[in-house]
Amino acid sequence: RFVEMELGGPRCAGLVLLLLLISCGQGRGADPINIWPMPKSVTSGKQTLLLSNDFVLNTQGSKYPDSSGILKDGFSRFLQVLRASHVADSNSSYSSAHFPVCKGLHVVILSPNDKLQYGVDESYKLSVTALGAVYAYLEANTVYGALHGLQTFSQLCHFNFKARVFEVRQAPWTIIDQPRFSYRGLLIDTSRHYQPLIMIKNVIDSMAYTKLNVLHWHIVDTQSFPLEIPSYPKLWNGAYSTSERYTMADAAEIVRHDHFLLTRGINVLAEIDVPGHTQSWGIGYPSLWPSTDCQQPLDVSNEFTFKVIDGILSDFSKVFNYSFVHLGGDEVNTKTAFRLKKKGLNESEAYQYFVLRSQEIALSHGYDIVNWEETFNNFGSKLSRKTVVHNWIGSGVAERVVAAGLRCIVSNQDKWYLDHLDTTWQEFYMNEPLTNITNPKQQELVIGGEVCMWGEHIDGSDIEQTIWPRAAAAAERLWTPYDKLAKDPRRVTGRLAHFRCLLNERGVPAAPLNGPGRVAPEEPGSCYKQ
Amino acid sequence: MLLPLSLLTLSLSSLFLFTFSRPLSQGFSNSTINLDDSLVYLWPLPSHFTFGDDTLSVDPDLSLSLAGVGGNSPILTEAFQRYLKIIFKHNSRVSGDNLRGGLIYDIGELKITVNSDDETLQLGVDEGYSLSIARTDGYSVIGKAQIEANSVYGALRGLETFSQLCYFNYESKTVEVYKAPWYIRDEPRFAYRGLLLDTSRHYLPIDVIKQIIDSMSFAKLNVLHWHIIDEESFPLEVPMYPNLWNGAYTKLERYTVGDAHDIVNYAKLRGINVMAEVDVPGHAESWGHGYPDLWPSSSCREPLDVSKNFTFDVVSGILTEMRKIFPFELFHLGGDEVNTDCWSSTPHVEQWLQDQNMTTKDAYQYFVLRAQEIAISKNWTPVNWEETFNTFSSNLNPLTVVHNWWGPGVCPKAVAKGFRCIYSNQGVWYLDHLDVPWEDVYNAEPIEGINDISKQELVLGGEVCMWGETADASDIQQTIWPRAAAAAERLWSRKEATAAINHTLVTLPRLQYFRCLLARRGVPAAPVTNRYARNPPRGAGSCYEQ
Repeated sequence: RFVEMELGGPRCAGLVLLLLLISCGQGRGADPINIWPMPKSVTSGKQTLLLSNDFVLNTQGSKYPDSSGILKDGFSRFLQVLRASHVADSNSSYSSAHFPVCKGLHVVILSPNDKLQYGVDESYKLSVTALGAVYAYLEANTVYGALHGLQTFSQLCHFNFKARVFEVRQAPWTIIDQPRFSYRGLLIDTSRHYQPLIMIKNVIDSMAYTKLNVLHWHIVDTQSFPLEIPSYPKLWNGAYSTSERYTMADAAEIVRHDHFLLTRGINVLAEIDVPGHTQSWGIGYPSLWPSTDCQQPLDVSNEFTFKVIDGILSDFSKVFNYSFVHLGGDEVNTKTAFRLKKKGLNESEAYQYFVLRSQEIALSHGYDIVNWEETFNNFGSKLSRKTVVHNWIGSGVAERVVAAGLRCIVSNQDKWYLDHLDTTWQEFYMNEPLTNITNPKQQELVIGGEVCMWGEHIDGSDIEQTIWPRAAAAAERLWTPYDKLAKDPRRVTGRLAHFRCLLNERGVPAAPLNGPGRVAPEEPGSCYKQ
Repeated sequence: MLLPLSLLTLSLSSLFLFTFSRPLSQGFSNSTINLDDSLVYLWPLPSHFTFGDDTLSVDPDLSLSLAGVGGNSPILTEAFQRYLKIIFKHNSRVSGDNLRGGLIYDIGELKITVNSDDETLQLGVDEGYSLSIARTDGYSVIGKAQIEANSVYGALRGLETFSQLCYFNYESKTVEVYKAPWYIRDEPRFAYRGLLLDTSRHYLPIDVIKQIIDSMSFAKLNVLHWHIIDEESFPLEVPMYPNLWNGAYTKLERYTVGDAHDIVNYAKLRGINVMAEVDVPGHAESWGHGYPDLWPSSSCREPLDVSKNFTFDVVSGILTEMRKIFPFELFHLGGDEVNTDCWSSTPHVEQWLQDQNMTTKDAYQYFVLRAQEIAISKNWTPVNWEETFNTFSSNLNPLTVVHNWWGPGVCPKAVAKGFRCIYSNQGVWYLDHLDVPWEDVYNAEPIEGINDISKQELVLGGEVCMWGETADASDIQQTIWPRAAAAAERLWSRKEATAAINHTLVTLPRLQYFRCLLARRGVPAAPVTNRYARNPPRGAGSCYEQ
């Protein structure tokens, strides 16, 4: 009705055509809906409305008290992100005369609970009508669904260079959205290189833009032990240097105190990788080494080893409050170690003994366990039924894991290891976690997937461009319903390029799409074409 | 009160012989990295300083007290808030625990005195400052850090130095200053310390430009040379000629006048000037997308059509609009790499040349000089790339600042003729040359080949250039850093302090330290020792060794 009134006569029909031409020109022939990851259901129109310069948050009727400020923070970050892209010094004579004005966002959250946990309801509905002076409307069951809705809304807002305000084109919008998988992860590795706190926060911010929801923090490895463990205060002597460390307060700030992750709806999966990948532990406590010249895996014969693991997990449980802890268990070379005779175990039995005993310790601290796939491959039937098996070596593992009734996270290295620079974004996009799993009960056991940013050649200088845009390709695979995913990645090139440029605009150094990971642009040109 | 000079006489040997009681890496095994306690981890190195062997703790509630006629400046209070975030970036207060158990911190207050309330940011503004950090002297209860400067911009430099002396002690969870007491008196060697950004070959989002401005202030660089436009794209709005930015790559890759103001203000708050460039008559093809008359012909599109008055109307219009945005006294008019073939091959231009009795070279000179006059009429000092000097030096306006880029030996010629000069020798200071290692950047010398002191003073300084052919938002910062920092110390620190020492033993670890400092402030500076710039670290290891 509004359309007919405003744009009724033949002259105005010409205006409609003009507006269409302009928007086509900006789309440059790409997918006209530039939202990443693609929501479950989207309808859009052809109208434009302008965002008021004092765009407000309205929570009338919401059941969520927001006493911890999660929604308020999310909303003010939304405004900051928009305003950092261009100065909105509105040309008021132009603006309100031409288009309806959107005064704010009305957010209604149905649940008062804001516990961020595995499987939390992340769904939302967003509608932006163009009828009169209005509020956009966002409804969600939890505040975390609302945060995703805000991210989607931010991607609908564009700077209007004529009116000098932000606008929503293609209104009215109706979006109904929810993730396909509950676990959508990104691994960072702070052992091979220390990542300054601010870099970790930058990565978390950009994860939220693409609706990833688990930061898998591979804290410790052979090379360095950067985290403070109050129960065993010499462990972080294994850091590279005095200043390449994280205090427990730093970890807590990321996870909890500052609500940093809460306000982005992201969980931290902390990992201590045992019994291999642990040489750095022994710098502070040499008795954890089998001997000074044979320094990993951890000494399975020494009770002190398990005391230390218990101490670490006890300290973890005070800070890392996700349902899961990752216990590693990969690439254990037992040839180098083990005084086993007194326990009457052979080497592979000792490996199993170590992993299972560590699992028991984690369970006693209230955690469910994630272990790398070698543990399943070697003694899958012995693993705790609460184990989530983390695939990495290759394809076909998830099938066997879910057939055995265990849960699984997919990270097959040939497609989802970000340190493999020759894996293109197209391959990241096409990697399907449910390949060859047809039984719906078994499909449910695949809780999601994760892209892994191993740190051998990654420090603060190159982590973000190695992660993005390829991690975003995987993020859509993990979020968007299977039927809405492109069967041919060429169909999403324009939309992903648009998202990569959006990341750049927000200060995230996402690399060009044309070429392998972390490639420099080949020549001068538009961001949207590179 | 400025500190007495006698206190500040720098003994170079003290730089290397000093030992102090509190090793930074106490209790660590041999397999971890030890900072060399004999080095001064300040970048760029101050001109005069002394230090002791005391350790002082800094109150996480550090207060600011302002004095002097210029002390009451929002530039300072904003900067103090920024630096608090940098200095106290680790959470030193866990769930309400008072980790100091009621102890009083040694440094509770930072006092900043600014002696002038003139906040004009111009070339040669006084950036000097003195900084002292000392334990209480018995007359007051709480120790102080004090900065005194003649301008707010000097005070900003002092704040940066202060922040570099604050370390987080991971054991005590407090911020500490080592090797106190510190007495520093510092000032830059050159007034012009620039970095060029090119937003024509790739559009740089505003947030990215601001990140770069922040990082420049950490290295005490003070001029952002904004090469806004080139043949590939014209991203800036010019209200008088509203079709010019039709030459942008896309509608989304543009800067409004408001955006440009925002950048200039953001830079000013950090003591950084923005020098805008309009490169004429070459490198201007993108202008013609909005106004095809500016092309000699649609098939031969640059240099700009010298035969039309319209061309100069547009140049004048652009400069009029830019004058409202860019208050810096220097304005860059380019003038490099002008291939005049289009002029001689386009009939109406060729006819005009004949009518004017000009060769194409004459026309090049005519164009540059006419553009200079326009700039000067707007109270700007013109800067031109060296080709203009190399081709018709005797006719250049004597106000001209010659911007060297081709190679060594140009500034000596320019200053010999009385021109001022900016040094950007591409063999060492072009950051897009990825094969130039940090040592070559560091060892470049702007006054090389100039012996006469009065002529040396005509070298305003130097600039590292980040041309944008293969640099966009994804890789620009790691291409700039850490090599731009090497040039920044060359331009700031006294020549004697940065020459004739063993760079591998003394300078390299300091630069590695500064690179890690940048990383900790969120700047993706690349490893120092890589053979090629912006390459990833070669393997696992400490930031301080890569």
